[in-house]
Amino acid sequence: MIILISVLIPFFWMVSGSFKTRLEIQASDIKIPGKEPSWIPRNFTIDNYKTVNKEVKIFDYFKNSVIISLGTMFFSVVIATLAAYAISRFPFPGRNVYSITVLSTQMFPGILFLIPYFIMFIWIRKLIGLPMRDTYWGMIFTYTSFSLPFSIWMLRGYFNTIPREIDEQAQIDGCTKVGALFRVIIPLAKPGIVSVGIYGFIMAWNEVLFASVLTGNKTTTVAIGILRYITAQEARWGGMMAACILVSLPVLIFFTVLQKQFIQGLVAGATKG
Amino acid sequence: MHLFIQRIKKNRIAYYLILPALFCMILVHILPMLWGFIISFTGLDLYTVSDWSKASFVGIANYLEGLNANSPTGGRFLRSLWNITYYGITVISMGYFIGLGVALILNQKFIGRTMVRGLVLLPYIIPDSVAYSIWRFMFQSRIGIVNKYLLSWGLILEPEVWLVGDKSIYAVMVASIWKGWPFTCLILLAGLQTIPLELYDAAKIDGASPWQQFRFITFPLLMPITSVLILLSILWNFNAFNQFYVMLGSDPGVAAEVPSTLILRAAFDSFHYGIGAAMSVVLMAIMLIFTILYIKKIRPGEAEH
Repeated sequence: MIILISVLIPFFWMVSGSFKTRLEIQASDIKIPGKEPSWIPRNFTIDNYKTVNKEVKIFDYFKNSVIISLGTMFFSVVIATLAAYAISRFPFPGRNVYSITVLSTQMFPGILFLIPYFIMFIWIRKLIGLPMRDTYWGMIFTYTSFSLPFSIWMLRGYFNTIPREIDEQAQIDGCTKVGALFRVIIPLAKPGIVSVGIYGFIMAWNEVLFASVLTGNKTTTVAIGILRYITAQEARWGGMMAACILVSLPVLIFFTVLQKQFIQGLVAGATKG
Repeated sequence: MHLFIQRIKKNRIAYYLILPALFCMILVHILPMLWGFIISFTGLDLYTVSDWSKASFVGIANYLEGLNANSPTGGRFLRSLWNITYYGITVISMGYFIGLGVALILNQKFIGRTMVRGLVLLPYIIPDSVAYSIWRFMFQSRIGIVNKYLLSWGLILEPEVWLVGDKSIYAVMVASIWKGWPFTCLILLAGLQTIPLELYDAAKIDGASPWQQFRFITFPLLMPITSVLILLSILWNFNAFNQFYVMLGSDPGVAAEVPSTLILRAAFDSFHYGIGAAMSVVLMAIMLIFTILYIKKIRPGEAEH
């Protein structure tokens, strides 16, 4: 019970804050009796929701995030499925080196290659005239590559649990090796593929570091946009909390619907060799 | 040799299959890493950034400055390494104890367990910027809920300023523990469920107390998963950025400066890409040790068919 309360308190505070007027939040003061910040809004209002898009263009950011996250989801599922199938079923020379590379890139966090990556973006633009920074596909490419190591690893584990006899049988029946992937393996590994997709979506939806450097006016994602409610001039906490709820919704829906597969995949991906 | 080529030929399709993934990883992970290494030896700045071949070669000057306790950047960098270590140890150990405790509770059967398990995971699921924005709101000095309770319980006499100055790192720690322990709990719970129940039955017959059962069955059998988990947490926490950036802004101040925020500012506010890259390389060298340990722990090579 205590655990639950301590987990949920910030959420209550978020919901309560989103229904308070700006005046109530600004004027509240813990030192003045009668004006302390309260759990129940004194002047209940839904203005924060009505004006959520007024000063901060959160709907635009929302759209950007949806495009980037869905793109990431699609590409990481396709690319990771192919690569994981190769690692799982083909004893090709270089497989071990490749597996270890996949595993170790998963470990290296963004900040280590942010600077050279950013400079590479500038360089590509200069060399072949292809804009990368502040474009949807530049971001999708970045996030897809980020989610790949974990996704490949997770799916490899999933494919390994499917008995090889099944796809060998399919090959005897006249399937090619690639055909066996589409006809047999993918249908059987659906839960794993679904959780890889969600992982990619959530990762792209939540990422802050690269978004803060590589996105601009056209592609700002919600993870960055949400911070814009607080500026040097004014603090719109109410609006920010309303936006927080809005931004959490897609992730929460995904999680609620597919909780079981996602948790299984997550646990396996982090711990199984 | 002949056999080797035959094996390559026989598995030709595999190379096509990994090609897209390999392309992404080379372009996003491997090339930038090597490149970062090169940049760290140059004086790359705003003027030379569009043509990096023109940047001057400065040898190890960037490293000397980054690691010199007396230079402004070096002093902050060393301090940030200390900060992140302090932060990491606190967050990981607290997260582990809470996670283990809750995992033990959730491993019992009780009504509503599935629901509780789902709710407990909420902090882990919601986006970082949402979670830390809420905590930033809660830690506000006069309008925040944290000071209200500390004041009414008599733990403080005057409202504390949490998000500026010396105490800011503690505010971030609290928020990070809240955000991080559910994952630890999830993994430990999965670990607990693999322990055969017969072991406990046998222990009960032998008259072992609950504490002894925990001490001699649960804890040792959780060790493998614990070590993987702790290594993972070290790797993740050592590069903590989101919580500091969201709660304290791009310049968290000396007391809460971490390598990530410092590198980001060195490169994108002051435009000293070379120094930023040098600090990244130092950080990478530290991470490499833990990565090697992690890979040894889960040993992909042994999963051969």
